[in-house]
Amino acid sequence: MLRGTQDSIDNNLIKQLPYATAFINSDMELVHASDRWISDFDLGNKKVIGQTLRQVFPDIRNSWKKDLKKVLQGGAKTSGIECIMNQDGEEHWFNWTNSPWYDQNSEIIGVIIQTEDITNEIFDSAKLEKLEILLNDKSEISRIGSWQFDAVKKELMWCDITREIHDVPADYKPNIETAISFYKEGYSRNTIAMAVDQAMVEGKPWNEKLQLVTAKGNEIWVIAAGKPIFKDDKFLGLIGTFQDITNDIISQRKNEEQERLFQSIFNSSYQFTGILDLDGTFLQINETALEFADLKEKEVVGKKFWDAYWWPVPDMIKDGLKTVVKAAAGGEIMRSEIVVQDKNQVKVPVDFSLKPIFDKKKKVTSLLAEGRMIKEMVVAREKLKVSEKKFRALFELSPIAINLSDYDTGEILEINSAFTEALGFDNNEIAALNYSSLVPNTKKLKLNQIKEILEKEGTFGPLEHELIRKDGSCFKASLSGSLVETKKGKRLLWTATQDLTEVKKKEKQINEERHLLRTLIDNLPLNVYIKDLDSRKVLVNKAEMDYCGIKQHADIIGKSDSHFYDDTSVKISREEDLQVMNTLTPILGKETINIKKDGQLTTFLTSKIPLIGEDGKAKGLIGISMDISDLKHKEKELQDLISVTSVQNKQLINFAHIVSHNLRSHSANFSMLLEFLVNETDEGEKENLVKMLTVASDNLLETLDNLNEVVAISTNVNLEKKPVNLVKKINAVEQNLSAFLKKNNAQIINEIPHDTKVSVVPAYLDSILMNFITNSVKYRDPQRDPLVKLTLDQCDDYTVLSITDNGLGIDLEKYGEKLYGMYKTFHDNPDARGIGLYITKNQVEAMNGKITVNSDPGKGSTFNIHFNEKN
Amino acid sequence: MKKIRAISIIDDDPITVFGIKKMLSSIEVSDHIVTYPNGKEAIDGIRLSLENGSGVPEVIFLDINMPIMDGWQFLEEFITLPLKERIRINIVTSSIDPADKQNWERYKEKTHHLLDYKNKPIRRSDILEITRVA
Repeated sequence: MLRGTQDSIDNNLIKQLPYATAFINSDMELVHASDRWISDFDLGNKKVIGQTLRQVFPDIRNSWKKDLKKVLQGGAKTSGIECIMNQDGEEHWFNWTNSPWYDQNSEIIGVIIQTEDITNEIFDSAKLEKLEILLNDKSEISRIGSWQFDAVKKELMWCDITREIHDVPADYKPNIETAISFYKEGYSRNTIAMAVDQAMVEGKPWNEKLQLVTAKGNEIWVIAAGKPIFKDDKFLGLIGTFQDITNDIISQRKNEEQERLFQSIFNSSYQFTGILDLDGTFLQINETALEFADLKEKEVVGKKFWDAYWWPVPDMIKDGLKTVVKAAAGGEIMRSEIVVQDKNQVKVPVDFSLKPIFDKKKKVTSLLAEGRMIKEMVVAREKLKVSEKKFRALFELSPIAINLSDYDTGEILEINSAFTEALGFDNNEIAALNYSSLVPNTKKLKLNQIKEILEKEGTFGPLEHELIRKDGSCFKASLSGSLVETKKGKRLLWTATQDLTEVKKKEKQINEERHLLRTLIDNLPLNVYIKDLDSRKVLVNKAEMDYCGIKQHADIIGKSDSHFYDDTSVKISREEDLQVMNTLTPILGKETINIKKDGQLTTFLTSKIPLIGEDGKAKGLIGISMDISDLKHKEKELQDLISVTSVQNKQLINFAHIVSHNLRSHSANFSMLLEFLVNETDEGEKENLVKMLTVASDNLLETLDNLNEVVAISTNVNLEKKPVNLVKKINAVEQNLSAFLKKNNAQIINEIPHDTKVSVVPAYLDSILMNFITNSVKYRDPQRDPLVKLTLDQCDDYTVLSITDNGLGIDLEKYGEKLYGMYKTFHDNPDARGIGLYITKNQVEAMNGKITVNSDPGKGSTFNIHFNEKN
Repeated sequence: MKKIRAISIIDDDPITVFGIKKMLSSIEVSDHIVTYPNGKEAIDGIRLSLENGSGVPEVIFLDINMPIMDGWQFLEEFITLPLKERIRINIVTSSIDPADKQNWERYKEKTHHLLDYKNKPIRRSDILEITRVA
């Protein structure tokens, strides 16, 4: 103990104390210090006396000051171990003891601090056990195992944790070689071998991160540390630690991975992302944002958020942004739409948000700034506005009544003008209106059905439904609707209502018109039909059905012509159909003859008109046929009549000429003879002339008789015909001519059946038979006896009597034309008058018959007399 | 007046033949008058006289309506005869059928002979005119 020493002397003495000793007063100021103390604490070049401890050791722990105060206040001696870093950062371990410093009056005036540098000792063998305990304490927590090697005993000792790390049992005895062999072959084993060697030879410690392969074969990462222990330059051994850091490495790798992941997400995000500190300074910014503004990271990081390039008018928004940052730093999430400019100063709308980032303690540590480009969204929103406008216009202008109602309450929310028109309610009245009140009580059930459909399908209709107007009247409407759900989950129903009153009326009208048209075409005296592309009948009228012999309309549908007509008619008709449909040109008023399967022949006046579809191509045709068979028949009758008339007319003209010629020739003769008579003086000649006049007069009379006969035939065209037995008539004529025939040695062969009857005017038949038989004999061939053969044949409507002779025959080429002419004779026969055949022909024709002739001059002639049996 | 070498009258009506002959004889125009009752006999007769060189008639009176061969048929054959000289043919008919007049026109075109057309009766006043050699 030192007490009452004078400063100077004391100081000098204290200075020389072999132990590191320092004296501090009650103000903690350093009063004395031994040189040893000064050097131990490396304070040689510093003024320490008069300084407080705090000034000398700025890093001094408060606990030390507390310890000192305890001593000053009368406490006992305190001691402990302290580690202090010197200026070079080296660890220095000290044993310290604080003792009270008494004055003469045994009052404490300060503290005597004695320290001993134990840095060297602390690793001494004497301290090993202490360290082992220290390490053991620590190792349980952080899985640090320790080991020591006693160079004298050549013993290697592993603690339990070290053994556990190596996966070896508790009784395992390691040595240096086996210990090294646990290191993974290659880098790890080489490194540890060299480290141990260097430690022993050069005294160097080691601390390496290396890989071990445990006894169980697991690869683990460890921090292996060790240092040699020397005492008086004598190598005593090694001590060291193992720390299993496998999990750390894995978690570190995980962290690295996460960091990388975060960075890649951070940078590759489409949105602008930055992290700010609470004052709004950029800590980080992603590449998307940098690229957008064409900036380098260093141009942003460290700068204030509001000073960034992309704010178009920074001055105006600076304060706003500051407020936003402040609010976010206070824990609020800020979000708004703003406009920023890109590298080309093009303004881009951005959905901006600033969110606080909290740590585990819910304290805001930084801010996350994000910006999403919403150009598309803005455009889409504009579009939406336009389509909303369009929808509005459609809604208002739609001729269909539309209303929007709350599906669940039935409350009507919106109606358009067509709705007002249809139901009478206007916009002001709908508030009080409920959808179900628009439906008559009797039809409420249907409303429930609609609801069921809506729940299931989401839409309904169109279906017919009855509604009530404002004035209470009911009407049929076609309803359709669609259920929509708002974001808030409210279900709304759009309903379109089409008043069917007009539609129904029109439907009725159309039906009436259809009926009218049907009645019309059914009662037309025409065959009307519609055919499809394959010429199958699609629609026919009653006349066509009757013609085809079909009773039910359905029976004819889909049937083609081949079902009803013969092959030729079908073919012609199909060709016409194709022509019409291919050229799209109608056939109009064409006369066609159609033959049905039963052979019935009908003449039609047919028109075929193409039915043109919307694509401009034919989809079928309309056919209209008028049965003109009767007309044709009448036309033929008329034609026949005309030809008869013209023949008769010709005959009349001929007759007139004959008459005029014959009468004129006679009168010419009279005239000539009378002229002669007047001028004649010779009586004999006069008498001769009078005789000639008499002859001329007789001739005239005969001519008149002949003409009279012809006129009689021609005027009695309506003489009644009746059936006459032909053979009997022939026999009678034969009888009358018997003398004439006998004289000429003529023979008649009659091959006509006895019961043959012909329809004739009897007197004419007499005359005809008489004339032909007489002619056959009269114009006989002088070389042979006359032979007349009568035969009978049937040809169409005619009974044909043929009279064949073996007479002179007639050169028909020469005389054919004149054969039946009046006063035409062809032979040098004095009896020929040229009147017989003329009259005969007239008689046959008067009975609607005709005569044909075959003749071979020199061989004979055959006259065929056709008796018309029909009329 | 020079006499005509020969005149033929072709007609089946004896009264007409008588009349024409009487008128011809009264003007003594020819000493040689031949008559034929139809065209057939006439063409045969003329052919014969052409063959034996006795000469064809210079003037012919031709009726149309005749049996066996009528006036037109006769003409058809006559105009084919190899005759250099121009013969006067007087068609004499009581027909007023326009067809006959048309036939006349047709034949006029077809032949170099002189064709005349007269309706009966022939008048004495006409006879001089129509017997003039063509």
